[in-house]
Amino acid sequence: MELFEGASGVEDVLDLSHLNSNSLNFNSIGDKRRKDTRHLHLSHNRLMVLPDSIHWFTNLEFLDISNNGLSVICEDITRLTKLKTLLAKNNRLDEFAMPKEFGTLQLQVLNFSGNRFEEIPAQFLELQRLQSLSLGGNRLKSIPAEIEKLTSLEMLYLGGNLISTIPVELASLPFLTYLVLCDNRIQSIPPQFTRLHSLRSLSLHNNLLTYLPREILSLVQLQELSLRGNPLVVRFVKDMTYDPPSLLELAGRTIKSRNLQYSEEDLPSHLIRYLDLASKCPNPKCAGVYFDSCVRHIKFVDFCGKYRLPLMHYLCSPECSSPCSSNPQSDADSDDDQSVPADRLQRVLLG
Amino acid sequence: MEQAGLVKPETLDGLIKILHKIFENDIINVEEVQNIMEAYASKPQEWMKFAKFDQYRYTRNLVDEGNGKFNLMILCWGEGHGSSIHDHTDSHCFLKLLQGQLKETLFEWPDRKAHGDMVQKSQRILKETNSIGLHRVENVSHTECAVSLHLYSPPFSHCQTFDQRTGHRNTVRMTFWSKFGERTPFWSQLL
Repeated sequence: MELFEGASGVEDVLDLSHLNSNSLNFNSIGDKRRKDTRHLHLSHNRLMVLPDSIHWFTNLEFLDISNNGLSVICEDITRLTKLKTLLAKNNRLDEFAMPKEFGTLQLQVLNFSGNRFEEIPAQFLELQRLQSLSLGGNRLKSIPAEIEKLTSLEMLYLGGNLISTIPVELASLPFLTYLVLCDNRIQSIPPQFTRLHSLRSLSLHNNLLTYLPREILSLVQLQELSLRGNPLVVRFVKDMTYDPPSLLELAGRTIKSRNLQYSEEDLPSHLIRYLDLASKCPNPKCAGVYFDSCVRHIKFVDFCGKYRLPLMHYLCSPECSSPCSSNPQSDADSDDDQSVPADRLQRVLLG
Repeated sequence: MEQAGLVKPETLDGLIKILHKIFENDIINVEEVQNIMEAYASKPQEWMKFAKFDQYRYTRNLVDEGNGKFNLMILCWGEGHGSSIHDHTDSHCFLKLLQGQLKETLFEWPDRKAHGDMVQKSQRILKETNSIGLHRVENVSHTECAVSLHLYSPPFSHCQTFDQRTGHRNTVRMTFWSKFGERTPFWSQLL
């Protein structure tokens, strides 16, 4: 179908959306218009393919191909070296649809929500400048560890997928401000989330969480947290199984708690590494450490006097008590002394 | 002189004028307001200047203060954005979708003595509603934004929010992200 140039009044915007056309031919677009166009709208058509001639728009910065019938993206899109925003919502794309060299683009905003991705394609993880990535409403089963390569990422929307675990590497994203993981099958949040210093909003509603890691309290920038639709435990669970520590662990604990000096000349490197992994027991009355053997302990924390969240942390033995109270028995009751200051987490959307 | 109820609002400005006329009276016909809201056909170019989205949560954008008798506002919901469970103090709430879809879940009022999960009454996808009582409103879409037009009469600045797991309630102050198309400064927003 031939197209007319005068589709939009503004010179650098070409609006060919909502035309119900199943093929596009850019031949009728003049040379100058092709070079001047910065924004190209092709959404709400019935395109099955993106024409190769898309690369004629050499200065294109914004491309919207949402709401079409695309099952593949042509390789020529990688010639759009100035492309910053690509919106391709509601198509039929999956991880095999992406061109090989897609990762070379200078994209900042990518929206592939409402497609058929089962995995985040490797090419997406090459996009060094990516600030915003949305793959909501797909079929993602997991998040790859390589997500940490997206060092510029500020916004990550993965709601409405089939994700059941979160890789620790997600916590390495230094600028992540908005993280959406709602409507998935997530059972736990890694305590390493404490490293997400920029996190302002975390969406976890409609998952399979029974508790949160205590480390979430350290996210000082966090203002919004949604937790509705999770089977959060409401009462302290008394029976927590405890595996007795191994001999290796007992030796390690003794070395650490008595501050015995050691160096690479004394011990093989794998034992040095093991000793470096010691975690301090959070009980302030206990100077102990633990390695693998610990007790998981759930503590209810009041947020601003409004909501009670079950937070989990680790203690080095059943005899140890939580830093939150001096009497371990009080954990069994609903009332807790610890509460988070009112200026934190003002918009906890638990309710 | 024509009755306000028989006129179909052609534009958003037209709707506002009709609403002002209706609310000149002390007694308001709820059905009349509902019909007028329903009759307005959404034209994005008319309300776009009020529709200011926030990345992190839904926004409330004041359109008209209704001479103190009502507040007309536009709410913008990004993907996945939802409200807490809330009441409308003692005001009537009229809601109409301008774009996208919203899911409304109605709840029973929790017994002050009881603890435990709040009881859901019903759930539906909205086109428009006139609700009294407790509800949660959410944009459950992961791909589309939603825009809704709300009328509250009388206007209210505080309401109660509820914790779904316990029925515990809390009074909150409502704020506007923008008024009359202008973004309101940060210092005037609290909750």
